[in-house]
Amino acid sequence: MSILTLNNVHKHFGETPIICGVNLNIEEGERHAIIGPNGAGKSTLFHLISGKYPVTEGTISLRGQAIQNLPPYEIARRGLARSFQVTNIFPRLSVFENIRCGLLWKMGYGYSFWNLLGRQHDLNTAAHGILDQIGLSQRADYPAGELAYAQQRALELGIAIASGAEVIMLDEPVAGMSHSEAENAVALIRRVTEGKTLIMVEHDMSIVFGIADRISVLVYGELIACDTPSNIRSSEKVQEAYLGTVTADE
Amino acid sequence: MKKILTKSLVWIGYLAVLLLLPQFFDSILAVSLFNQMAIAIVFALSYNMLLGQGGMLSFGHAVYFGLGGFLAVHALLLIEFETVYFSIVYIPLLAGLVGLLAALFIGSFSTRKAGTVFAMISLGIGELLAASSLIFVSFFGGEAGVSGDRTYGPPLFGVEFFQGIEIYYLAAAWVFVATLFMYLFTQTPAGRMANAVRDNPERAEFIGYSARRVRYISFCASGFFAGIAGGLYALNYEFVTEETLNAVTSGRVLLMAYIGGLGYFIGPILGAVILTLMNSLLSNYTDLWMLYLGILFLLTVLFLPKGFAGFIMMHRVAWLQRRIRKLVLPYLATAIPAMVFMATCVLMLELSHIEDESISVLNMELSASSSSTWLGLLLIASTSMLVTRRTLPALREAWESANHVADEPESKS
Repeated sequence: MSILTLNNVHKHFGETPIICGVNLNIEEGERHAIIGPNGAGKSTLFHLISGKYPVTEGTISLRGQAIQNLPPYEIARRGLARSFQVTNIFPRLSVFENIRCGLLWKMGYGYSFWNLLGRQHDLNTAAHGILDQIGLSQRADYPAGELAYAQQRALELGIAIASGAEVIMLDEPVAGMSHSEAENAVALIRRVTEGKTLIMVEHDMSIVFGIADRISVLVYGELIACDTPSNIRSSEKVQEAYLGTVTADE
Repeated sequence: MKKILTKSLVWIGYLAVLLLLPQFFDSILAVSLFNQMAIAIVFALSYNMLLGQGGMLSFGHAVYFGLGGFLAVHALLLIEFETVYFSIVYIPLLAGLVGLLAALFIGSFSTRKAGTVFAMISLGIGELLAASSLIFVSFFGGEAGVSGDRTYGPPLFGVEFFQGIEIYYLAAAWVFVATLFMYLFTQTPAGRMANAVRDNPERAEFIGYSARRVRYISFCASGFFAGIAGGLYALNYEFVTEETLNAVTSGRVLLMAYIGGLGYFIGPILGAVILTLMNSLLSNYTDLWMLYLGILFLLTVLFLPKGFAGFIMMHRVAWLQRRIRKLVLPYLATAIPAMVFMATCVLMLELSHIEDESISVLNMELSASSSSTWLGLLLIASTSMLVTRRTLPALREAWESANHVADEPESKS
């Protein structure tokens, strides 16, 4: 069953088309990677799905419900969480508070100003559980802004999974990491997205081919291929696009 | 368990200080000062809900304070003319509700964005209301303001609120309750999300929260508590004018919160106490007190960006490591010349202010017209400043060694 469906999605910034008619079906439990050269519109596509930008045309549906042009918090509440290409955490809150904030909505606290956080046993246990999962328990009381880069990325992932979302979207989760850090990060991603649907944008091909069930190739705002890693690897069209030949223009 | 105990002790201590202060200083002047502090504490804490906790810089927070004050004084009038009949102890709550109502309305459009947009709207609303208060004379009383009398209400346990001290205990009770509730608010989901939205509104939206809604809730709570402060103000002075809701009052509360320290719950309390003291004590001694207030603000922004509370918290690690004593001498070495420098500057300012008279300091007549006075003062000022600067590196070194924490082994990730 497909959990996320994009139907003829267009996005223009003024006159400039960035995404031109993307159709994409993502199956439940699938690990899907979106690759493509710089400026292909991968991040824009993420922003459209997660509600940061409105779409110009087309529909996006999550579990059959249309979500295009909803505000991000509505989409998040329906079970879609994401991370960002640039680290996007709450720098002055402690690491623990970052995770706890990520949990609040799912656990039904809403905008409550009558519950005291310190007394919410389940909430705090859940937050500590996630800290354990992402390996930041020792850092629980640190201000998040003072963590090392790789730890901040792990925290970012933790905030995303805290929401309990079924669809997790990661935008270049290992960018800027050293080789060993990236390896750890990939292992972490595998572990915490177990049983969930994962959509990721990534430049590092070894990671993409290692983790994805299916790969979509986005070039100049169009999906030129969507297939299994081995088929993508052997596809001539993809090779061309990646070697920088401007063939996707016609 | 230990944490809860410490926390309760802090609150009991706070209540004890509030209640016992007038036992030690019971002059009329002192009690009126405590009243002003009490009002300022609630007002400054409510302001910090916006700026410190929620990241909303407001230039018009006096609107809610002033509206609360005006409503309270009208309530006093209604009691006086026997339209309604209830004890004045509830008036701050009514004033708070008016603040809340105003915030519900104004916040509905002003909290859409934080940052410059919010600041400009708050400034505009503040000016708008200050101007209308001079136009709508029947409610705001024009330039003369509105006055009432707090002694007409039914006595509470025989207390009729004739004296300042009686109002002080009423205010102290309200201050304690308001402080407690404002603190508890920071511990709720809405309060914590306010911090999250302050830090990163975009991320907050992607974890299911509308940044605007989160700001709106803080904004309304803040308006409510500012209204309570306004109600206390009206009960204390029995007289409310346009000044309570204009930009001067808005500016003052910003200064209090900032000088005290935005990042800490206790900061605005410190700021309210310090500024009230400066306001009323300093103004008895010198006409230049506004200038000194401005200088204090500048120095805080430049050298203590986290305010007085932040300055105190800078020594937490040294305190925990029991090394605070090692800082005493370096601090004295810097503070003594620094104080000499400041005192000399103050003297020069005062001398130039009074012009052709003279000031006697330490049994010396200093004449403003003699050039030797000026030369001497300049010499002292420059020497003391040089000495201060010389001692700074040693102080910094001492501070760093006192605050140094050896890395725990597991921290090397």
